[in-house]
Amino acid sequence: MQTVDVREALRQAIDEEMTRDEDVFILGEEVAEYNGAYKVTKGLLDKWGADRVIDTPISENGFAGLAIGAAMCGLKPIVEFMSFNFSFVAADQIISNAAKMYYMSGGRFHVPIVFRGPNGAAAQVSSQHSHCVEAIYSQLPGLIVVSPSTAYDYKGLLKSAIRNPNPVLFLESELDYGLKMEIPKEEFLVEIGKAKVEREGSDLTLVSHGHMMTLCREVVAELEEEVDIELIDLRTIKPLDIGTVARSVRKTHFAVLVEEGHLFGGITSEVGFQLQEHCFDDLDAPLTRVCQKETPMPYSKMLEKETLPTKERLLRAIRQTLNI
Amino acid sequence: MSDVKFYQADVSKWVKRLGQESLTKALKRMVLIRQFELRAEACYQQGQIGGFFHSYVGQEAIQTAATAAMGKNHWWITTYRCHALALLLGATPNELMAELYGRASGNALGRGGSMHLYTDRMLGGFGIVGGHVPIATGAAFAIKYKKKKDELAVCFLGEGAVVQGAVHESLNLASLWDLPALYVIENNQWGMGTHVKRALAMHPIAEKLAPAYEIESYTLDGMDFVGCYAAFSEIKEKILKDSRPILIEVITERFKGHSISDPGLYRSKDELQAVMKNDPIVHLKELLEKEQWLTEESYKKMEKEAKEKVLEAISFAESSEWPDPLTLEEGVFKDG
Repeated sequence: MQTVDVREALRQAIDEEMTRDEDVFILGEEVAEYNGAYKVTKGLLDKWGADRVIDTPISENGFAGLAIGAAMCGLKPIVEFMSFNFSFVAADQIISNAAKMYYMSGGRFHVPIVFRGPNGAAAQVSSQHSHCVEAIYSQLPGLIVVSPSTAYDYKGLLKSAIRNPNPVLFLESELDYGLKMEIPKEEFLVEIGKAKVEREGSDLTLVSHGHMMTLCREVVAELEEEVDIELIDLRTIKPLDIGTVARSVRKTHFAVLVEEGHLFGGITSEVGFQLQEHCFDDLDAPLTRVCQKETPMPYSKMLEKETLPTKERLLRAIRQTLNI
Repeated sequence: MSDVKFYQADVSKWVKRLGQESLTKALKRMVLIRQFELRAEACYQQGQIGGFFHSYVGQEAIQTAATAAMGKNHWWITTYRCHALALLLGATPNELMAELYGRASGNALGRGGSMHLYTDRMLGGFGIVGGHVPIATGAAFAIKYKKKKDELAVCFLGEGAVVQGAVHESLNLASLWDLPALYVIENNQWGMGTHVKRALAMHPIAEKLAPAYEIESYTLDGMDFVGCYAAFSEIKEKILKDSRPILIEVITERFKGHSISDPGLYRSKDELQAVMKNDPIVHLKELLEKEQWLTEESYKKMEKEAKEKVLEAISFAESSEWPDPLTLEEGVFKDG
């Protein structure tokens, strides 16, 4: 075993897949000579050279499209967005080309590509650098959307994403890059499309993904004596593993859904709707969700905390749902 | 277009080099494209074909010359005006017509339609103006990454796309990274109903734009098959030798509306009549006649054969099955 942080887990995944397949390469802003804006690609330029670790100009629409074209011609690009907020500049490429190509061409061309980078809020980076993109991109058939929360899953899922023949949006959290965990030294993969029951429990199902798992773990620990919570990490947003969530809800009869992104049309809306389709008769209380409020991200520390899901809001939601 | 300096080919040298066989073959292809477009348009008007339909009539010489001069074994990328390129790269009239008809036997299983046609070396038919240009740049990147010395990426775009950021980002990346990419701006004068002079601040386009990215440029007369052929031959050799992108502007004019639903009210009947006098098919036909390589009779035969091929494609499409609704949700993702 080895103890690594998320940053190192990601670096290992990229390095191992570049070793395994010479068609894998990484490009993005500052990934090479600067060693990555968040140091995920540290040392990769030295090891692999400038043909496979490629600095781009600040030209997201251009280099995302270039990578999609390269993928259509047989390469397996990893595109790093310095922030997933910058993917909006490349939205036409991701949406009109990557997502639709395989279906639109009747299966003639596929797009084996990974777009990865930090998603959602960091620390006071304000409105244009804090958006959670998963609800936007999960709405598009043809895209796989992954959002892990532990070093083990970050590594195993990124390796699976690189090997997947479809476009994968791999969402990271800047705030979680330093999270440490013991993981095997031997190679392992984590399958895309599988949620994980992180903690079994019998009183209530708590569902989340990405950075909000940290908040959920804290609340589960705090309520340990009082409520036996079953905690589920979605890990993959799309395809959604509703089966794992529904099985849990049939057991616990109560569910609270947590998401860093906005309330309206979010991931919790989808999970919640599918739960009522599958578990209507099993539910003993309405579903409750805790999401980001409907504001662009404010800069002020005070307001930023207020718009994001907080421990207090989550505790309140759980108590309300269980009527305790 | 008096301000344009066209590439000057030694026509008699190239006519001699190409000879009767190659030039006749080229004319035959252009005639097939025209027949395909005109007859498919008629099918559209009868309600057999839906959606958008962008005709290549008037522009046939350009892609016919490009494919003939450079060979098919490259990556090819074009706009939604893509029927001709697919035909030229080996898609059959049957599979293309069936695609326009939305049938299961279509080029893209009836999922792409008129704007999204493919061959093994054609990455599409793309529907967003300018959005395909980064894709082409990526194809050139893949060629370089794989160290293939005999291939390039050829990207056709309209003059209307030149104002899109994606085009400028592509030119910058291709130049910066020495990519073997050929960008061909087919300036047919009209971005839907907006004349190029009301949309773009630089004229002639390639001559003005290319130096900004330290790229070499050419301006071609798109109605002149031989001139285009000569230029594409020279350009291909240059790109393969230097692994540097090249930007071409080909001056042309479409004879039809932007798409089938465009009544073309921005051009008077007289103006359109004048445009249609400058017909690339007529020019090549006259050249062959002058060389005594073609008679009116053999031309009629050529036209008849093309017409029959297209009529056969229409009956193939008409008799093809509709896609099975049970397959609707298949193939959104590739297995594996």
